[in-house]
Amino acid sequence: MSFLQSLRRGARFAVACLGLGALGACTTIGPSPWEKDLMARKEMQVSAYAPLKAADNHVYFSKEASSGGSGFAGGGCGCN
Amino acid sequence: MQLRKRRKGSVREQIAALSAGLLAVSGIPAAAQDNPYAPVSGVQDNNFGPGAAYSELDAALLVYQEAGGRVQAIEPSANLAVHGAHGETFSLGLIADAVSGATPNGAVPSDQVQTFLTPVMLSGGHATVTGASGGSTIISLPGIPAVRQYTAAANTLPMDKGFHDHRGAIDFNWSQPLGHISDVGFGGGFSREQDYQAISGNAHIAQNFNGDNTTLSLTLNTELDSSFPFGGVPAPLTVMSGALKSPSTRDKTQLGFVVGLTEVVSRRWLLQFNYSFDSQSGYQNDPYRIISVVDATSGEPTANLYENRPNHRQSQSLFLDNKFDFDPFVTDISLRYFKDDWGITSKTAELSERINLGRSFFIEPDVRWYQQSAANFFHYFLNGSDPLPAFASSDTRLGKFSSLTYGMKVGFNLTGRTELDLRGMYYQQTGDGHPADAIGQLRQQNLFAGTKAAFVFLEYTWNFH
Repeated sequence: MSFLQSLRRGARFAVACLGLGALGACTTIGPSPWEKDLMARKEMQVSAYAPLKAADNHVYFSKEASSGGSGFAGGGCGCN
Repeated sequence: MQLRKRRKGSVREQIAALSAGLLAVSGIPAAAQDNPYAPVSGVQDNNFGPGAAYSELDAALLVYQEAGGRVQAIEPSANLAVHGAHGETFSLGLIADAVSGATPNGAVPSDQVQTFLTPVMLSGGHATVTGASGGSTIISLPGIPAVRQYTAAANTLPMDKGFHDHRGAIDFNWSQPLGHISDVGFGGGFSREQDYQAISGNAHIAQNFNGDNTTLSLTLNTELDSSFPFGGVPAPLTVMSGALKSPSTRDKTQLGFVVGLTEVVSRRWLLQFNYSFDSQSGYQNDPYRIISVVDATSGEPTANLYENRPNHRQSQSLFLDNKFDFDPFVTDISLRYFKDDWGITSKTAELSERINLGRSFFIEPDVRWYQQSAANFFHYFLNGSDPLPAFASSDTRLGKFSSLTYGMKVGFNLTGRTELDLRGMYYQQTGDGHPADAIGQLRQQNLFAGTKAAFVFLEYTWNFH
């Protein structure tokens, strides 16, 4: 599969995700503003404990063939 | 009767905290909002959520140790994030690490002693090596490059002992709301070690919908890596030797993007879904790694060749993360599916359960399971009677294996502004060290060079205005 073919496939998937997201935007899924007290907690934030997640990713990147998913593939080091 | 005096500003603080909660969506700052609840003079303001201007300083230390005298690493890091009241965020991170120990060189074990040669640089009478020095003999003759020789005892996995390297890295990121766009930003990074360098850049855009319950994001990433192994870049699938090689440097470029959807499904359920695409082009070999050519009958190694991997690699992954808050329990379940055009597919599942024990202490057991298939050019060895393939690597990281990680984190909320976290994990790979196609003496050897490691992570976080 060429780079362009893969890129097109990835772009199609991205557009599909955006479509689904836009569809979600039209619905009323989710809590009301006054019900977001739990979401304000640190442990419910996606970006919380970033240094720990970065350390995990560094360990797994250097020992396994897969990387990325929650962020980018690659590790900025020559350890793999 | 003595009435308890209401603390000045406490209502404002509570309203500000509630306001922060209303704006909190998946860690990505919501649209710019004025923050009229500025701290009252003389009262400690512990509002550190979205909508408040504050800074966060993280200092962390990772200590990593593999079993069997293999790799050990110490990695201190520091990160400063400055948050504006209108959703602006600037962050700056610094990382250093020191790595040493022994690492498998890729050759198979033998029932006889094996000897390996690699170039070594002598400067001022001292050896400068990235590859190894411990357990080695340096052979130096005037006027020519020195050669380092090391041996592997019979029936042991060949290791390049004394591996050591140092790395320093810096990165920054900026993001802010822009007009009707919830969040835009960019960042960059630079990492340098003795034989490797990486320069990276990224840009992102995110939009909140549905009463800030839905966030769509797109992030682009690029990276330019340069590998300048000690002794030069070896020609692929040539015999390992102590001679200096050329060229001295090879590069690799990387382009990728991540499309993300974050959904606050209910008061207690946060969902994140990412699709990632990544393309790498250029030099992707491990320049120090070799693969054994073995006799077709006896299985004895007859030569050691430098490995060779394809110059191009494309990968895609799907990532799903769910967080459930059933106070005082917070459950995090994540799943990942990864696939690339080297023939590798992998599945990852991780579960953590945070248990808040009072307001200032929590424990969080964590378990992670991982399984991958082998790259289509992975071989434990090459059969001497077969034609030489175009690509071959015996790097266990490209082989078929599974791994299990488990451990526990404990956290202390020290003052309302500071938090101390300590986590210990144990990591173990499991693979087939006795493949069906093993020949002769290789049937008696364990060919899987999997890793067992323990790592401890200590993090101190300080929020301040």
